[in-house]
Amino acid sequence: MHDEATLDDARLTTLAAVLDTIIPPSPERGLPGAGELGLAPSVSGEIERTPALAALIATGLARIEHAASTATGFAALEPEARERLLREDAATEAGFLRVLVPQTYVSYYEHPRVVEALGLEPRPPYPLGYSLEPGDPSLLDPVRQRPKLYRDC
Amino acid sequence: MANDPVDILIVGAGASGAALAWSLSDTRMNILCLEQGGWMDPAQYPSTGAGWERRRFSDFSLSPNSRGRRDDYPINDSESPISVSNFNAVGGGTILYAGHFPRFHPSDFKVKTLDGVADDWPIDYTTLEPYYAQNDQMMGVAGLAGDPAYPPKEPPLPPVPLGKLGETLARGFNTLGWHWWPSDSAIATREHAGRARCINLGPCLTGCAQGAKGSTDVTYWPAAIRRGVALRTHCRVREITLGPDGMANGVLYHDAAGALQRQAAEVVVLACNGVGTPRLLLNSRSKQFPDGLANRNGLVGKNLMLHPYAMVSGSFPERLEGYKGPTGCMLISQEFYETDASRGFLRGYSFEGVRGDGPVSTAILSMAAGELPWGAEHHDSYEALFDRGASFVGICEDLPETHNCVTLDPELVDADGIPAPKIQYRLSENSEKMLAHAVARAEEVLGAAGATRTRVQAPLPPAGWHLMGTARMGTDPERSIVNEWGRCHDVSNLFIVDGSIFVTSAGVNPTNTIQALALYIADTMKQNLANLFD
Repeated sequence: MHDEATLDDARLTTLAAVLDTIIPPSPERGLPGAGELGLAPSVSGEIERTPALAALIATGLARIEHAASTATGFAALEPEARERLLREDAATEAGFLRVLVPQTYVSYYEHPRVVEALGLEPRPPYPLGYSLEPGDPSLLDPVRQRPKLYRDC
Repeated sequence: MANDPVDILIVGAGASGAALAWSLSDTRMNILCLEQGGWMDPAQYPSTGAGWERRRFSDFSLSPNSRGRRDDYPINDSESPISVSNFNAVGGGTILYAGHFPRFHPSDFKVKTLDGVADDWPIDYTTLEPYYAQNDQMMGVAGLAGDPAYPPKEPPLPPVPLGKLGETLARGFNTLGWHWWPSDSAIATREHAGRARCINLGPCLTGCAQGAKGSTDVTYWPAAIRRGVALRTHCRVREITLGPDGMANGVLYHDAAGALQRQAAEVVVLACNGVGTPRLLLNSRSKQFPDGLANRNGLVGKNLMLHPYAMVSGSFPERLEGYKGPTGCMLISQEFYETDASRGFLRGYSFEGVRGDGPVSTAILSMAAGELPWGAEHHDSYEALFDRGASFVGICEDLPETHNCVTLDPELVDADGIPAPKIQYRLSENSEKMLAHAVARAEEVLGAAGATRTRVQAPLPPAGWHLMGTARMGTDPERSIVNEWGRCHDVSNLFIVDGSIFVTSAGVNPTNTIQALALYIADTMKQNLANLFD
């Protein structure tokens, strides 16, 4: 389903940190961060199917690393600092996150670990399907008492 | 043998073409259907595999412009607040529809007489009633008898379960004393005519892998083919051709390789929907019809009706299991269906209950609505959204207006180089008022059901599922394209059976009525075979 990314390891590390900033971990819910989940290669690969978007991501990652301006890079910043930096970047270069956020959401919320943490079985709907209770037929009692609503003609 | 002349040539294998083909098949005439798409493979539908949700935003998008399949044709809908949602395959739009299957009301056929708007239909509810019943059997309609909003009817299958979400909404209606009823649904709730029962997969709008949803590739077509109807796929009709006598004598079409072929026929029937049919007529120009076939009065493509949708979603404190069960089949309310002039508009609307979304769709749709931030607030927001949403769509009756129309785009073409359609559409003042009323009433009932906040989209942009009115029926050749049984006034061996022929749109999903009309027209053709063209 996913193409693998062509980003080098350093850029993938930055991208993982960006993904962790877009969807951070939530230990109390048992939810990992999107970067921690290992989504960077697949997210990047999916975006790189469109060459113009691939350039947007590569340029965006380079810009963020430059803006981080620390020896250890964007990934080493505290979460609050990473989010602040990304929001500052988005204020002037909106395209980077506009592409990255939806792809991150898709990849994250279809991941089996996340699906399970949400209380669902990590499987496609078919072939097992789901069961639904037939419902309480007495709910219709007041509607049955009503006169006809349609017009004769 | 391919391309030998046929008695009946049907263009389009969707809802109406399938019903007509099946009905005519008992005549033992030589019947052929040409379909620009192919057969769908349910084993390949999104719900069968990993990544099932993302495909609703790509190769199973509702929009032909987004899907970009070769079988689709592009539609310029840039001058409409509502974009067209359709599908091109054996089964047509029924592949991706919800299967919500209400009938029209008797009053829907008499809008001029009762409410002084638009025109009455040349037929009435009584005319279609036996065909609705026949269609209910063929499509496998689930529902419950006794609905006070309708004349008596007996759906052949038990209703789709409400589930926790449906019961929550039903209690809201009961609190307000408003009408609601389990929806008539083209969903096999138990085994029916060789179809497996519904197992509540959820994503009906990306095709039913179980085969429980009544798409015509699993209902009418297998039966019609068994009875001798030929169905030729990947054949896109370019134009209808005329003989020197002014009668249609066949079509030119592109085969799967793009090569132009000719198919001769005694009778041509169009079943291409309310955009595809006027497109084909307008592309069929000749000396006799320089402005398009059957278009002497200039009304082909005019009076496009789309059903403006008001979508109102509520957020609830508790989880609702909304990802289980048929997406758009649960309950209907017709409390505001019949005209009440005190509301400030004429005609009315239905509420159709809509279940919730899976994890990916929740994220993407909430993001698009500006409700799901990234960053530190993300999880709190998502937790309040996932599986805690329930929605209504208010399906508002759209009245015919000639400025709402289908024309040919001067530049856009499909994969075979055939000019593509362009739609121009704007909401009337009546529709705007009706939408506002539907939004307010939906918020009221969602609140009564326990929703803590609501989100509104009105009109819902991608809701152009229902394409109607662009070749309407009537007895006056100056004001209509086809007569009261679907025969073109201008070309007496050319019939139209899809939603194009609707005079008005009612306030319900149209597929049941489209198919009942097709069955009625087929029956009338059979009764008039001896003098079909007189």
